[in-house]
Amino acid sequence: MRRPAPHTRPPSIAAWLVSLFGSADQAESILGDLEEEFSDIASKSAAASARRWYWHQSLKTIAQLAGAGVRNAPWPLAGLVLAGFLLQWFSTGLPEGVIVAILRTQRPYSNLHYDFYISFLTYGFPIAGDIQSILLGCLVAAFARQREVIATTALSFLGGASIGLLFFDASGHWSRFAYSWPFPIVQLINQLAIVLGGVIVREIRLALRKGCHEHDFNWTDK
Amino acid sequence: MSNRDYLGEFEHIVLLAVLRLDDQAYGVTVRREIEVRTKREVSIGAIYATLDRLEAKGYVQSRPGDPTPERGGRSKRFFRVTAPGVSAIHRTHRAIRSLAEGLDLLGSRL
Repeated sequence: MRRPAPHTRPPSIAAWLVSLFGSADQAESILGDLEEEFSDIASKSAAASARRWYWHQSLKTIAQLAGAGVRNAPWPLAGLVLAGFLLQWFSTGLPEGVIVAILRTQRPYSNLHYDFYISFLTYGFPIAGDIQSILLGCLVAAFARQREVIATTALSFLGGASIGLLFFDASGHWSRFAYSWPFPIVQLINQLAIVLGGVIVREIRLALRKGCHEHDFNWTDK
Repeated sequence: MSNRDYLGEFEHIVLLAVLRLDDQAYGVTVRREIEVRTKREVSIGAIYATLDRLEAKGYVQSRPGDPTPERGGRSKRFFRVTAPGVSAIHRTHRAIRSLAEGLDLLGSRL
């Protein structure tokens, strides 16, 4: 089999997304299979069509791996997502409360840093919310072995759906939340931050696993 | 595994493909074998999700191969059908034959 030119490499983002789903062993063999077929297609046709094929296969593979991850352990995963959702629900407003409590002890509005105080309140609240979401994602992912990204994605969808309900009032019309433009964007970023927490834990675990394998290899090599 | 456990349609196809490929059955070859013989497009993910399920049932066994350059230095995962896997294929074939017996399938409009 002829190897494609060095610049014809599989799309790294697609490969990275595949590696986030399924077990580490699964990812190793699946990415190897995808690259082998990609090399074959790239050696016979245009690089663009090989890349298109790779993306198409990757997205279908991610959907299959996510579905299999849920089917293999549906109840533990559902319990974990529900626990994460309840934690998110009950900790709503906690970062804002902490920021306000700190600011009150400093009494910044009584000195020359009033502008800083106002900007801190404006940008500090959303940033604190994002940090809280990342930590929540990390916590949920820590308990979801091999399914870190599946669990945090499910949690972010559940959180997003519950916030979506706030956009409608009791009569089914758009509520005032839907018109306060930063609100939907801030909430969307918060939900993405949960998935980011899952990705961080997944990457740390993969790096630790790789480090252990290299250590074992060096040990046996000596 | 229960003696009444029948294979699903795709499980059945994947097991037969692995049997046909003998000791050369891994993701790429299984996928190509299915596409060539059934004219059905399948993803690598679908193959692995099914093979992992079959391995959990004890119908296939896997072993890692050596890393190769055309795979970006990643190793292959070879599969082979176990004795319970062959029994499951026989059981499923018998059930289908029994259900089809006496039906005039060629004469029907299906």
